[in-house]
Amino acid sequence: MIFLRRQMPLLITLLAGLVFAAQYYVPHPASEQLLTSVTKWLQIIGGFALILGVSSLFHVHAVKIRRKEAGWGYSFVLYASMLGTIAIGLWANGKEAVDGTITAFGWIYSYMMVPLQGTMFAILAFFIASAAYRSFRARSREAAVLLVAAVIVMMGRVPLGEYILPLSGDVSQWILNVLNASVRRAILIGVSLGTVALSFKIIFGVERSYLGGGKE
Amino acid sequence: MPIETIIGAWVATGLTLFIFSFLYKDNPLFKLAENLYVGVSVGYTIVKTYDTVIMHLIWKPIVENGEWALLIPVAIGLLMLTRYVPKAAWMSRYAFAFIVGVGSGLAIPRVISSYILKQIEDTVRPLMVLVPGDGVTFTWSLLNPASGLNTIIILVGVSSVLFYFFFSVEHTGPGRAVARTGILFLMIAFGAAFGYTVMARMSLLIGRLMDLIEFSDASYGQPTLWLLAITMLTLATLAFMSRRHQGNPPESH
Amino acid sequence: MTFAERMLKIDRRIIFLVIGLCTLLPLLNPVGLPIKISPEVRGVYDYIESLPEGSVFLVSLDFDPASKPELQPQSVALLRHAFRKNLRVVAMTLWVTGTGLADQIITQVAREMGKESGKDYVFLGWSPGGTAVIINMGQDLYSAFPADYNGKPTKGLSVLQGITNLRDVNYAISLAAGNPGVEAWYVFGKDKYKFELGGGCTGVMAPGLYPLLRSGQINGLIGGLRGAAEYESLIGQKGKAVAGMDAQSATHLAIIVLVIICNVFYLSLRKAARQQGQSRA
Repeated sequence: MIFLRRQMPLLITLLAGLVFAAQYYVPHPASEQLLTSVTKWLQIIGGFALILGVSSLFHVHAVKIRRKEAGWGYSFVLYASMLGTIAIGLWANGKEAVDGTITAFGWIYSYMMVPLQGTMFAILAFFIASAAYRSFRARSREAAVLLVAAVIVMMGRVPLGEYILPLSGDVSQWILNVLNASVRRAILIGVSLGTVALSFKIIFGVERSYLGGGKE
Repeated sequence: MPIETIIGAWVATGLTLFIFSFLYKDNPLFKLAENLYVGVSVGYTIVKTYDTVIMHLIWKPIVENGEWALLIPVAIGLLMLTRYVPKAAWMSRYAFAFIVGVGSGLAIPRVISSYILKQIEDTVRPLMVLVPGDGVTFTWSLLNPASGLNTIIILVGVSSVLFYFFFSVEHTGPGRAVARTGILFLMIAFGAAFGYTVMARMSLLIGRLMDLIEFSDASYGQPTLWLLAITMLTLATLAFMSRRHQGNPPESH
Repeated sequence: MTFAERMLKIDRRIIFLVIGLCTLLPLLNPVGLPIKISPEVRGVYDYIESLPEGSVFLVSLDFDPASKPELQPQSVALLRHAFRKNLRVVAMTLWVTGTGLADQIITQVAREMGKESGKDYVFLGWSPGGTAVIINMGQDLYSAFPADYNGKPTKGLSVLQGITNLRDVNYAISLAAGNPGVEAWYVFGKDKYKFELGGGCTGVMAPGLYPLLRSGQINGLIGGLRGAAEYESLIGQKGKAVAGMDAQSATHLAIIVLVIICNVFYLSLRKAARQQGQSRA
C-alpha cells in the first residue's frame, strides 16, 4: 500500500519526465503522435485544474457566510454574483454574442467585468506615483544610478521628452537595447539554468512538494 | 442607442467610480465593487471552462466522433479532484505526478535550447567579427545595437551580472571589481524597468479615463457626471454618519 | 517640522490629484506631438508589409481586460494592417478571461474592413493548457481546436485550407500581458516549429523581452501604449494609442518632477543633519 501511495507517483513522474524529455530528440512519427495525444490530454486536464483552483475560493467564502463572520455581507455579494454569472452564462450557452447581437452573458462581461478589472489595475497608477515620491530617494550611489536611468527612460519614451531633449530618446534606446538587454539576458540564462535543475530534481524524485494531498 | 447599451454605460461608469473612490478612503462602495469583481471573474472562468472543456473537448469528440481515448485524461482530471476528499486524497498524487512529470520533461530540452544555448550563442557570435581575419571591421556606433562596441559592452554586462549572482565564489579582489560592474549594470536595468512600469501603469489609467470620457457623452445620458455627483454624495453621507456615530456617547447601563 | 520634512510627508491624496489632473486635462485638450518610430516596432511593420497576399498570419491575443488599454490598440492596428494586406488571419487567445474581449476586437475590425469569418479570418477562441495548446497546435492545429469560437468545425474552413500545423504559419504575433505569452510562444512554438515570431507586450514586460529581440528570436517588439501609437502612425490610421500619448507625456513629466523634488528635499535634509552632527562634535 505504501508503494502505491508513495513510490508509484514518483515512478510515474520519472517515466513521464524521461519519455517526454527524450521525445524532443526522436523524430519518428510514433513519437510525434504521442506528443500530439498527450498535449491534447493536458488541455483537458488543464480545464480540471482550473476547477480545482476556483473551488478553494468557493469554500473560503461559504465558510465565512455560514459563520456570519465580519464582512460576510460582502462574501454574500461575491457568491451571488458568481452564481448569477454562471446561471446567465449557461443560459446563453457560454456565448457573448450571437450573430452580432450581445447576449446577457456578453453584457455582464463588457459592462461589469471589463470596467471592474480595468479600474482595479488603473488605480495602481496613483499608487506608483505616491510610492515614487515617498521612497525613490538617492540613498546611495547605486540608488542614484537607478534613479538617473529611470528618469532618462521615462523622458525618452514619451513624445514630449523627445521634443524637449532629443538626446534622451537615443540614450534610452541604447540603455534598453544594450545595457538592459545584457542584464536581462544574464538573468534569463541564470533563471533557466535554475528551471532545468529544478525539473531534473522533480523527475528524479529529489523534489516532492508538488505531490501534496493525503498523509505521508 | 439600444437600451442595454445605455444601462450598461451607467453600470460600467458607476462601478469604475466606486473603485476610484478607494483613492479617497476605503469605503463600502469599493468593497462592494471589489467583491463583485471577484464573483463575476470566477463565474466567467467557470462558464468558459465548462463550455470549452466539457462541451467541445470532451462531449462532442467522444459522443459525435467516437474518440474514446479521451476518457483517459477525463479520468486523470477526476483523480485530481479527489484532493478535496480526505480519505481518497492520495489518489490525486497520480494525476499531479503525471502532469508535473510531462511538464518537466517537455520543458527541459526546450528551455535549454531557447534560453541557454541560443542566448549564449547570440552573445558570443558577434565577437567572431572582431577576430582578426579577412576584412575585420570594428564599428564604433553606440546607436546601432549590433555594432562592435556594443557587442563588447553586452558581453561585459552578461558576464559580470552572471558572476555577481554566483555566490559560491567570494567576491574579493578582482572578483569584487567584476561584481561591482555587475551591480552597476543591474541598477541601470532596474531603472529602465521602473521607467517602463510607470509607463504601463499610466497607460492603464489613461485607458480607463478615456472610457469614462466616452461615457460622459449626452447620447448615454451623461452617466459620468451624474454618477460622480452621486458617489461623492454617498461618500460624504457615509463619512457624516460615521462621525455622528462616534460623536454620540455610548449608553451607560 | 521644517518645510522639507513637511513636504516629504505630504498627504498622498494630493499626489493622486496631481496625477489625475495630468491624465485628464491632456485627454480633453490634446496637442498631438510627433511620435518617433523605434526600430523594434518597425521590425514588425516591415515584416507584415513584406508578406504576400494570402499568407497565414496568426495573432494570439494573450491578455485580459486589465491590460486592455495597452494591448487593444496594438491588436486593432495589427489587424487593420493584416486585413489591408489581405492576409489570412487566424486569431486565438491563451487567457480565459480575455476571450470575450478578443472576440469583440476581431469582430469589430473585421466588420470595419469588410472581412468574412471562415473565408478571410477565423477566431479559434480559447483552450485551457497554455503551453500545451501551443505544442498541440504545432503538431496538429485541428486537434487543438476542433471547432472555431462559433462552433463551426475547423477542418472545412476555407481560410485554413492547406494548413496542418504551426509549421504552415508565415508569421505569428503574440500580444501578451504575462505568462503564457511571447516567451511561451517561442520556447514551445518557434523553437521546434520554426515559424517567424513577433511580439507585442505591456510596458511591464517589455524590458524583459529585449534579449529575445537582440538574438533575433523575435523579429520585432511592440512595447506598451507607446508601441501601439508608433504602429498606428506607421499604418496611417491614428486611434486610441496616439490620442493617449499627450496624457502619457504629461504624467511622465509629473513623475519626473515629483521624483526630483523629493530628492531635493531629501538631500537638503541629509545635508542639514550632517551639518548638525558636525557642529555637535
